[in-house]
Parts: sequence; C-alpha cells; structure tokens
Amino acid sequence: MHFAAYVGLLFALLTSLFLAGLAAYASWQSRRGALPFLERGQLLNAGFVVFSCYLLLIALVGRDYSFVYVFENVDNTLSLLYRITAFWAGRAGSLLFWHLIMAVAGGVFVFTRGYRGLSDGTKSLYWLLFNLTQAFFLLLLTGPSNPFIEAVPAPADGLGLNPLLQNPGMAFHPPLLFLGYGLFALPACCALASLLAGEARPWIRVCRNWNLLAWAFLTSGIILGGWWSYMELGWGGYWAWDPVENASLIPWFSATAFLHTSLIESRRGALQRTNVFLMAGTFLLCVFGTYLVRSGVDVQSLHTFGEGAVAVPLTVFMLGGLAIALVAVFLGEKPVYRALSGFTSRQGMLVITAWVFLALGVVVGLGTMWPVISKLWSSTPVGLDPTFYNRVCLPLFTLVVLVFCVCPWLGWKEGLRDMRGAAGTAGVFAGSLVAFWFAGVRVPLALIAASGAVAAMASIVLLFVLTPRMRSSRHSWGAYGVHLGMALMALAVAFSGPYKIEGEGTLHQGESMQVGDYLITNGKLTQERSRAVLAYKAELTVTRDGRTVGVVHPERRWYPNSRNSFAEVAVIPGLGDEIYTTLLGYDGKDGSVTISASVNPLVNWLWIGGTLMSLAPLLLLRRNPEPA
Amino acid sequence: MSAKASKGVYIAAFVLLLGGLGYLIASGLSQGATPTLSVAQAKESDAADLQRVRLFGKVLPQDIALRDDNLGVAFIVADEVDPAVSMRVEYRGAVPDTFKEGVEVILKGDWDQGAGVFRASQLVTKCPSKYEEKRADS
Repeated sequence: MHFAAYVGLLFALLTSLFLAGLAAYASWQSRRGALPFLERGQLLNAGFVVFSCYLLLIALVGRDYSFVYVFENVDNTLSLLYRITAFWAGRAGSLLFWHLIMAVAGGVFVFTRGYRGLSDGTKSLYWLLFNLTQAFFLLLLTGPSNPFIEAVPAPADGLGLNPLLQNPGMAFHPPLLFLGYGLFALPACCALASLLAGEARPWIRVCRNWNLLAWAFLTSGIILGGWWSYMELGWGGYWAWDPVENASLIPWFSATAFLHTSLIESRRGALQRTNVFLMAGTFLLCVFGTYLVRSGVDVQSLHTFGEGAVAVPLTVFMLGGLAIALVAVFLGEKPVYRALSGFTSRQGMLVITAWVFLALGVVVGLGTMWPVISKLWSSTPVGLDPTFYNRVCLPLFTLVVLVFCVCPWLGWKEGLRDMRGAAGTAGVFAGSLVAFWFAGVRVPLALIAASGAVAAMASIVLLFVLTPRMRSSRHSWGAYGVHLGMALMALAVAFSGPYKIEGEGTLHQGESMQVGDYLITNGKLTQERSRAVLAYKAELTVTRDGRTVGVVHPERRWYPNSRNSFAEVAVIPGLGDEIYTTLLGYDGKDGSVTISASVNPLVNWLWIGGTLMSLAPLLLLRRNPEPA
Repeated sequence: MSAKASKGVYIAAFVLLLGGLGYLIASGLSQGATPTLSVAQAKESDAADLQRVRLFGKVLPQDIALRDDNLGVAFIVADEVDPAVSMRVEYRGAVPDTFKEGVEVILKGDWDQGAGVFRASQLVTKCPSKYEEKRADS
C-alpha cells in the first residue's frame, strides 16, 4: 500500500512536469490544440492525488502502523474522528492536504464558465504556472515530506495524537487554513497568466468566487484557531502573536487588502497591476507561512518547529514566484491606465484600508522575523513580545474601524453622498465616546476603538434604513455582514484585552476568592476514569452580590498513553462577562484546588463577529461571476 | 479636485501613514524588544545585560521543585546544544501543562546575581504542535 500511494504521488509529479512542459510549448508556439490535454491532464493529476490521499486515510482509520506517519500520529486509543484529523496533524500530511485542495480546485476550475471564457493564451500560461506550483509541492511530498514511508517491522501501537490536538478544533482549524492556502493558488496563477497574456477579460471577475471562498476559509481557520487556543490550550487568550499564529495572519492581511483594491478595479478599472501583485503576493505569503513553520528558521516560537529540510526548496519557490510576479507586473501587457478618484471618495478610503492592511502585514512579518533580522547588528537575536504587536497593530486596527465609519457615506467619485447618514454616524461616535468614558473606559485606544466599532455598526444600520434598495440586495447583506462582524470583533478586542481581570489562588474546600465582582467558591473534587483519560474535576460556584451566576467544573486530565496531564478549562459564557477557569493543581486527599480564574468582558463577541465574517462572504458568491 | 491635486493628497496621506507607522514601530521596539539568549550565551554575558531578557533552553530532570500551591516552580535549565551549561531558575506563576523534564522552555525575566538564579516572570513551554519533530523516544 505504501508503494501504491507513493507511486500515485510520483505519477502526479510526472504528470505535472509533463503538463508544465506542454503548456510552455503551447504558449511559445501559440498551439490551441494542447488545451484539451492540459485540462484532462489536470483531472488525471487530481485523480492520482485523491488516490494517494485515500490510501493514507484508510491507513489512518485502520491504524496501519506500518506507515511511519500513522505510527507518529495515531495510537490504539484514538477515536475515529481524531484518526481522520490526524491526516493534517503532521508535517507531511498537512502538506498533502494542502496539495489535495489545490489539485481538486484546479480540476473543478476547468468546468467553470469563467475559465471557459479566458483566451487560449491565458489558459496556456495559467496551466504552465499552475502545474509548476503543483510540481513543486509534489517534489516536497515525494522527497523530504513523504507521508508514505514504511516502518519495518510495523509497531503494535503508535505514539498517538498530542492530547492538545484532541479537540474538535483540530477537525476544523487546520483544514480551513489549508483550504484557504490551497484555493489562493488558483487566482494567483490566473492573475499572472492574464497579465502576461494581455487577457481582455478581467481575471478579477473570473476568480471572484475563488477569492472570496479562499478568504472566507482562511478567515474562519484563523478565528477557529483563536477560539481553540482560548478554550483548549488554556492560554486564557485568543492571540499570542506567536510566529505560527502570525504565519496565517500575514497572507490574510494581504488578501484583505486585495479584496479592497479589487473593488476599485471591478468598479473603476484602476489598480490592475497592483491587484495582480497582491494576489500573487498573497499566495507566496501562504508559502512563506509554511516556511516560517517548517524551515527551522530561528524565530523561537511557542510551537515546536519542524526540521529545516524543506527550507531551501521553499525559499527557491518563493524567490522564483516573486520573480515571475515582478516580470508579469513590469513587463506584462500594459493595461489601460485609469486614475483613481479623489482622496475623499470611497475609492480613497478603500486605498487607505488596503494600505493599513498591508502595513499590518509588514509589521507582523517584521516582528516575526525580528530575531533573524536583529542578528545583522546584534550578537544575540532580539525577540519581540506581544507588547510590540499590540502597540503597533491596535492603532492600525482602530484606524480601519474609523475609516469604515466614514467610507459608506462617501461617493465613488468624490465627496459626501449622504449627509444624514454621515451626521448620524458622527453623532453615535461622539455619544459612544461620552458613554464609554462615563462607564469607566479610560484607556484612550480602547475608548476610540470601542466608540468607532459602535459607530461602524450604527453606520451599517443607518445604511440599510436610509437606502431601501440595499435591503433586498444579497450582495449588500454579504458585504456589510463582513464589516459588522469586524466591528463586533473590534469591540470585543477593545474590552477583553485591557479590561480582563485575572486571579490565581489555592482554595481549600469551602474557601472562596474574589476576581473582579465575582466570588469563586471551591466545592468538592471528583475523579472520573476512562480507558484513555483519568480526569480530576473541581466544582466551583461563582456568585455575584450573593447571587449564584453558575457552577463550573474545570478539569485536569491525565493521559496515560502520552504520560501527560492537561487542563480542560471551564467557562460560564456570557455576552457581557465570561468567567473562565482553569484547574492548575489539586490535592486528592483534602480536596483543595489551585485555580486561575479570569473575567473576560465581551469576549464572546469576538467569536460571534468572527463567525459573521466567515459566513457573510458566502452571500457574495455569484452563480455567474463573469456574465458573458 | 484635479487629478494632480488628488495625487498630491494621496502622496501626503501615504507619507503621513508611513510616518505614523514608523513612530509606532520605533516605540513598539523600544518597549517590546527583548534580547533572546540561549543558556550558553546568557552565561557568557555580563550580569548587567541579563535584565529583561528571554532565555531558552531545556528543562533538566533533576531538582524540579514545584511549589506547594502549584503557582511556581524551581528547576535547572540547560543549553540546548551543550547540556553541561545550565542555570538555576525560579519561576512564580501558573505552571503550563506541558512543563516537565526534557521540554524546551522560553523564559522571560531577570538574572538575580546575589542569589545566583534567573527569576522568571513568564514561562512558556514550546507547544508540541502539529509540526512536531520526531519524538526522542520514537
């Protein structure tokens, strides 16, 4: 089975290389006849990859420890769900999953109306670039990141999946990220091919659905990752600015900047080359994220980094991709130049938004690589802690929120288009400033961000009230749904960060501790045992002003198979305060517990806003993104 | 607004944003930048240079003393390359789940020359994430 699965990938590699050669020949000689071969070839290619993935899945589900990959990620106690999710739990499997998405998406693209409408020249160049990308991934998968290495003799049991990864988050967070990464390959290749071939049809419309889907998947993957670290990893926070977290955020920033500049292109025909560069850059930044995670580059992360065997090939791929992008942008067919409208227009605000998102991407990239960069002048690497990111990024996020308060009221060409809406939004902003101030919000940035978020939400409501045709437009609900989600997230961050109250302490049975306005009392300690886990559960009663708010049962779980103990946090969820408790330790004899507890204000609006941001783009999808 | 004037406003806005960004980055670096040292590098440094640093290394199996209230631990951290070079660490705060002998840790704190220990205010164990290298016992 190992051999068959490996051969599947090998055939896919050979097919990709052959198709890339054929596409290069077709582009050079302007041969139209090669296109059917290229299109069917992609289906064959995807078929080989699906075959190999199927074999890996069978091996994981059937606990076939003769696969080294299965041995490293599965054990005899692991449930079916986590045996399946182990597919993307390891280095090689996650890369294979990413490639699977890319290969299948490439096959689906052939049947879309947008693809069929492209010129033959663009199609040939697209297949050249897409097959080169696939070949690169397949080279890694058949070389340094091979998931089909055989273990001889096959062990009787595996090492298992790390308990921290045994969480529903594992079933969604990584595959969503890889779905985003994989889907960006397609518009990136299409954008470059269009510019190089002088395509008459706007690629932005052809790839509209792919862009939106990739962005929605990436967004949901990042937000689920935040929720996972908050709930499961017991960090008590949702974002630690760790290099591995930043790795997925950097392409998200560039993709978000692109979504804003692409609006200008599709409405006004400007910024064509900027958009090609941003799209190609977004995909290359996805690869850069992988480089950060797996190259062994010295960025001292909370996460354990993989070995550096893939560092050189990834660097070569990124530099090659950048060179192609620069060639396309500077030497490709010159599009018709269209100037931007005035600064005080919706276009102007979209440009500022794009700048700010790009600035955020640069800051996060710079901060992540700072230990490496600082070696240029320092004998010891200098790391940056969350203070740096918060100090630089939060003002920029606040600026985005403020721009969003203004943007909907500006015309596409110049000036205010609706005085009532603008005045109403400004009034809500001023009112919120005063209200939050008197409510005790005195941190200046939190005050402005929170007021901006409320004003941004008010502006959306006002827009729908004052513009009746927007209420019947699916597109408006989608676009403003995303922005409403972002405003909710901004509100959550403005409060849950600076106004979080934490406390730690050891409590004997019946003893209490105060955290903010809440009194937490220790009840009885219980023990539960199953085949895979031994769990100690505390019982904590939370009261406020003498009234019971709820009872929580934070746990410590001992996993004998991995000889590790982990905390399972417990919360009392709320749209206002959320009570978050972790059991740090216990005494089985006298029932005393050591706990950490925090009061996190408005934190759940982060997940509500994030869900809205992830789902609303689906309303923007069009059946015919590019009408004939 | 004429196209030329409009371009001027865009340039001015860009310069303003760049200036603001530069200021933010500079002030962020002055507050959030922490020298990151291996245990061997820390050993070679002057005591005065070991204030507000990040230290990374591996937890040695001997002399791990968890505080009674579980809110702190004392241990020895060794250099990842040369385990013979080590330092005594005292940490106050919640001990991460993944803390145990042999794990790689990142510590933030100051060197207490009088007591001869590194006093850590932050202890982070590397997350054994999905990209974990082959385990030593595999």
